[in-house]
Amino acid sequence: MSWTEKLSYQLFEPDRKQTPGEVVFFKLFELFVLFYVIKFAWEWGIYTQYRNVEIVLPLGMANYIDVSIFFDYHLALINAGFITILSIASFFRLGFKWQYMVVMVLLHIQYVARFSQGEIPHSQNLIGMAVFCFAIGALFFPDKKKMPRFVMGSIIFFIGLGYTSAFFAKLIGTGINWYDGRHLWLWIGEKSIDILSREGFYDPNLLQELALKSTAMASIILLIGWMTELIGFTIWWKKIRPYTTLLLIGMHFGITMTMNIRFDAFVLQLILVGFPWYLLFDQYIKTTPKFIKKWI
Amino acid sequence: MNLSSAKRGLKVIGISLLVYAILVASHEGEFWPFSIYPMFSQAGNPWTRAIVIDVTDLNEEEIWHSYSLEDRAAGVVPVRSYSVDQIDFSNFVSKTQNWTDSRRAALITMFGPNQLEDRQWMVSKVKGEMIGADSVSIRIVPFIKLTSDSTLLNPNLPESDYFRGEQ
Repeated sequence: MSWTEKLSYQLFEPDRKQTPGEVVFFKLFELFVLFYVIKFAWEWGIYTQYRNVEIVLPLGMANYIDVSIFFDYHLALINAGFITILSIASFFRLGFKWQYMVVMVLLHIQYVARFSQGEIPHSQNLIGMAVFCFAIGALFFPDKKKMPRFVMGSIIFFIGLGYTSAFFAKLIGTGINWYDGRHLWLWIGEKSIDILSREGFYDPNLLQELALKSTAMASIILLIGWMTELIGFTIWWKKIRPYTTLLLIGMHFGITMTMNIRFDAFVLQLILVGFPWYLLFDQYIKTTPKFIKKWI
Repeated sequence: MNLSSAKRGLKVIGISLLVYAILVASHEGEFWPFSIYPMFSQAGNPWTRAIVIDVTDLNEEEIWHSYSLEDRAAGVVPVRSYSVDQIDFSNFVSKTQNWTDSRRAALITMFGPNQLEDRQWMVSKVKGEMIGADSVSIRIVPFIKLTSDSTLLNPNLPESDYFRGEQ
């Protein structure tokens, strides 16, 4: 068996039969993604309409189209409306199989219009990645038995790839001394200024105080996080997946504690895709409800 | 899903990965939702953020000098209470190359109409950098003073701090 066959076995589990629990869990996961797509579309749209003034940093397609047009004429809100209608229709499998791809493009435009002010947040990336996987799944694997397995497998692939490539980006960008504790001091300082600016006051938490007291402690914190990123790709193996997921969740908890960066949707999605929830669902669901069969 | 579909699935992922790589490589590591998360890849670089200090009760002579974070004499205006995203605000201040009249007016607009009334706010850059082997320096540099109907640049800073590129 070639390594590509081995990898496809781990990601898509072709030998395992589709069960009612898997189907119900898949639709619940899709509902989770749908909720965040609509939430982000409107949050970004409202902010763009009422707050954005000029483009400071063009991201993605904003390099090619003038997204400042979305600051006026209620276009950002209209776009949020289109995203809402198309994503709901896609959830119920109404319309065309390329609809999710249209949602992906419209959501990208909404993101680059909202975040044209300089900030590049990443906490919504995994939801975007899930929409992308639904889009290619709907295009290439529209079959009811194939789409759930492909979508979940491809999301897991891109999660593993994302973390491990982030490890190498740090190695190339800084070098082997990336985990020097003083780098963490500098980031804690930067994030503390953001909080001071936002709230008018700032108090370091216990972990930040520990890190700021000793470079060795700060270096250990960075090293643990960096090594966790390196092994991110092990999430591709189904037996190791829950353990890798736990480590990644722990790493995000550490990032939140040291740098005050929250990844709520990101961590929730990790919890949903990193554990075999279908086993739990199969304990209680013996047949797939008819209405869910229609929406797969 | 059978074995042949699983193999096809990996091919589809491979093509998607190629698209991912091309888009990310040609857009400095970011093409949402694709990313190599470059934010923390270059460690140890100096940074610049921004805060607003309420200087209404300070003397005119003392408001324009830079000082360390610990020596801050006046309160920080919490931008969230004016529905301003602090990271957008920070980037707007730190990444603007040319402080044209419209950019300066946008600073007042950002906080909403009539918010300043008779108060005076100092939009300040905050600069962080590693110093020597074991410390980090954080300094506050007064940048633009806002009143309800005017914006004043720091007379102690060179013009190149406000106008750096083509307008």
